[in-house]
Amino acid sequence: MSTYTCVQLRDAAPELALGILGGAERAEALIHLTNCTRCQAYVAELTEAADTIPLLALEHEPPPGFDQRVLARFGAGRRRSTRRWVASIAVAAAAAAILSITIVRVVDANNPVNQAGGATTSTSTSTPSTAAPTIVQARMVSATTGTSAGWVSVAGRQVAIAVDYGVDSGTYGIVVHPGKDAVLIGDMSITANRGSWTGTSTVDVPAGSEIALVDAQGNAVCQGTVATSR
Amino acid sequence: MWSVSDDALVAGLATGDRDAASAFVQRFQRRVFGLARTIVADDRAAEDVAQEAFVRAWKHAAAYDPRRGSVVGWLLTITRNLAIDAVRVRRPIAFDPATLVGLDRASTERAPAELAELGDDTARLRVALSRLPEDQCRAIVLSGLLGYTAREVGEIEDIPLGTAKTRIRTALIRLRAALVSEERAE
Repeated sequence: MSTYTCVQLRDAAPELALGILGGAERAEALIHLTNCTRCQAYVAELTEAADTIPLLALEHEPPPGFDQRVLARFGAGRRRSTRRWVASIAVAAAAAAILSITIVRVVDANNPVNQAGGATTSTSTSTPSTAAPTIVQARMVSATTGTSAGWVSVAGRQVAIAVDYGVDSGTYGIVVHPGKDAVLIGDMSITANRGSWTGTSTVDVPAGSEIALVDAQGNAVCQGTVATSR
Repeated sequence: MWSVSDDALVAGLATGDRDAASAFVQRFQRRVFGLARTIVADDRAAEDVAQEAFVRAWKHAAAYDPRRGSVVGWLLTITRNLAIDAVRVRRPIAFDPATLVGLDRASTERAPAELAELGDDTARLRVALSRLPEDQCRAIVLSGLLGYTAREVGEIEDIPLGTAKTRIRTALIRLRAALVSEERAE
């Protein structure tokens, strides 16, 4: 398995557009899209068509009082502030040491030898990749439950992340921890448990690097260890 | 009933305007609940999903970008993803996709001029879908509406994975072509 060719991408594009492509395949496809504007345009066209399909569902009157129950939840909930997040990212980027501590704590929590501080985190389930040397993958696991949250694929400095389970909606910073300092390389949004991001890391991402999504407070919500290429 | 545009309602929702929030829920609640009910097939679970979809829309109203699609498309995509997550483990059910999405012969037989007058995206989509071969229509409803993967579509339809993938792919490409050609015809 290597990075998708245009032919392979176009084969997978409809399932990608419909949101039914599995995590590993989705990550492969996203890596290809990072570098291929023609395929990006193709996927965008198909996504536009795919996004109309939910319109097909027939309307149905909700139970009495539905709107009032929804409005009551609007009043009770707390909206996330995008502006506050942007500000806290700037702070987090400046205070790399704080992020670094956060990530180290997650890594340590996954180490059976040092379980002291990680009662809420299960053992690491990073999956060895079957990829060719050009691309390596890792499963991302929730930092709180240890269950699978998605996939991360790395090819050189290109990184693709696909999250499809267990992470609350919101915007998260993407942090690479190659072994020394943690580096913020971007941010991604999760809506209804799903989100994806592709981009280029500003630092090398060698095997063994941790990649994590961190919330506005700097806490890792899920993370994966980039497996050794083989 | 409401003269305010969908985009303006979302803008009002983002600023915390109570009247806009109320109008937003009333305008879309039948669509959101209808979609949730179609996917989860249970009224109580559908209400949970529909409520959550509105709460997510409210929380993220400020991030809504009209250039990336319509308000209803955005809201229904949120609903669909929540509903699919709510039924991660489920048994395949026997159903008729034509009934599920309200397809009927009458819409299939409309003349092109009449079609252009329909205007409504939903009506155009139904017509485009009804013109697909039945196996492709089922495949795209199962995958695009109900969120079944290609492997699950293969199991439900009792066909090899490759055939399921081909049906899904062909159906979406044809749907795309039909929607584009109807836009041009307007």
